[in-house]
Amino acid sequence: MRQPGMYSGMLSGLSGKTGPHSLPLARIKKIMKKSGDDVKMISGEAPIVFSKACELFIEELTRRSWTTTMQGKRRTLHKDDVVSAVVATDIFDFLVNLVSEPPNAADEDAPGGTSDTEH
Amino acid sequence: MVDNIGADDGCIKEQDRLLPIANVGRIMKQILPPNAKVSKEAKETMQECVSEFIGFVTGEASEKCRKERRKTVNGDDICCAMETLGFDDYADPLRRYLHRYRDLEGDKPNQQKAMNNSSESNSVEQSWSYRNTQQYKNDQGLTSTSANF
Repeated sequence: MRQPGMYSGMLSGLSGKTGPHSLPLARIKKIMKKSGDDVKMISGEAPIVFSKACELFIEELTRRSWTTTMQGKRRTLHKDDVVSAVVATDIFDFLVNLVSEPPNAADEDAPGGTSDTEH
Repeated sequence: MVDNIGADDGCIKEQDRLLPIANVGRIMKQILPPNAKVSKEAKETMQECVSEFIGFVTGEASEKCRKERRKTVNGDDICCAMETLGFDDYADPLRRYLHRYRDLEGDKPNQQKAMNNSSESNSVEQSWSYRNTQQYKNDQGLTSTSANF
């Protein structure tokens, strides 16, 4: 799916040196705006900082989740491993309610979740 | 797949609320051993967590701006919010990343790219943020075009 490249295209057109970002800047900006009514203006650099921050976040949460996976002598990282990592890490407290919710949003494809598709 | 989550805003579609699963999955795989696998559900959970993370940090950064009577959330605000919320380990690498980005952008500070971002910032915010960058440039011994304070 083609991302609305207007924003990220603007940035790369300006410098051409920042290089590709691993996460779509326009999408990050949308999510930022959605976070609150008082978020009105976002500087051009904020989504870029976030693209890096999200990488760090995903890496840390993945690393911690993988610890649980290995403890279970498994090679496939499951949702429960992510939940364990969230519960075990103080700074991830803001995620506890999110991951403990019944799988409404994430469950549209596979209700019941009996077979996780491995990629 | 288009779906209304209907949580806060019924008009927000799922694809707009989350970062792409392919990107998220790729970052996850990069940190794992080569033979590791990641379930689709785990990637979806990670997508949700990342969006929550963005909202969480943005809220804190936005609150800081509100208290300081600024309208534009900039990169420094994000870094400060990280520290406030306990992501100390991220703050320093992000500041280095941000300064490197500003450096690569040359003499023109980001906020002065208002010709492209004219709807995003007002002149007061430009001045404030430019002063930040100007100080940085001075600290680095670099000169810059004059600011329009």
